[in-house]
Amino acid sequence: MAIMKKRNRPSGAIPTSSMADIAFLLLIFFLVTTVFDEEKGLPIVLPEQSNEVEVSQRNILHIVIRDDGIVELKRGESPSVSTVTANMIGDIWRQEVAQNPNLIAAVKTYPTAPYRYMIDVLDQLQGAKAERISLQIFEGN
Amino acid sequence: MSVMQGGYKRKSKPSSDIPDSSLADMAFLLLIFFMVSTTFPKEKPRKLDFPDAEATQKLDAPRKDIMHIYLERDGTVYINDQPIPMDRVSDVVAPQYVATDHKLVVVLRADREVTYSYVDAIQKELQQAGAVRMTFYTNLEERVRRARR
Repeated sequence: MAIMKKRNRPSGAIPTSSMADIAFLLLIFFLVTTVFDEEKGLPIVLPEQSNEVEVSQRNILHIVIRDDGIVELKRGESPSVSTVTANMIGDIWRQEVAQNPNLIAAVKTYPTAPYRYMIDVLDQLQGAKAERISLQIFEGN
Repeated sequence: MSVMQGGYKRKSKPSSDIPDSSLADMAFLLLIFFMVSTTFPKEKPRKLDFPDAEATQKLDAPRKDIMHIYLERDGTVYINDQPIPMDRVSDVVAPQYVATDHKLVVVLRADREVTYSYVDAIQKELQQAGAVRMTFYTNLEERVRRARR
């Protein structure tokens, strides 16, 4: 037989020259698509719907947020109303709660007030470690 | 005088190749990091102007127990990229609350300028659905962020 025998020797090495290219391609894809979504905010637990509790007026600090951002404060049954700014609430709360540890902050916001005014007050209260906060809508006296 | 006397001339030829044998290793290391840490968001984040707060805390709940409610400046509510009428919010939240074994945390992402009546309406809907754990999404105030650095 005069046919020449073809020598076909497969290479023993795995071609790895393009490995880095593939890795970088995938890397860039993940770099671009990754978003480190951080959940943050001011946590609060709402009252259960059928869980209305009668609270003595003595233990309530009424905080009324007007639509112009001015905050009205009324202590329990006292008829006197003082107007303050939101950034004073934290200090006021610390003073009040030192006198009455059972105090509840009843935050009532005007329906037309921007949401950020309520957040400013809630921020101050949570910064002052207030735990008993009630969020309501202002429905008139 | 370029030739030193009485000694061997030292030939210091720096290699012209950049060592790239570990390039793939480094790329794979970074790749694995990003693959593990990537989570693809289920919904499209809406561009809203969120309020700032100093007392902003990191929410410590598993991702599967978190539900986002977006409240736009005009009072439109979006859940999972779908506009939802305000009075139907509890119908959307309630099944999710049951599905998460009552561990659902609702994150309200509301625009800072939205009027409070809409925020109150959302709270009432959540109470109706029984989902009482909620968080008002806020950004950490800039000066606090700088001070912490």
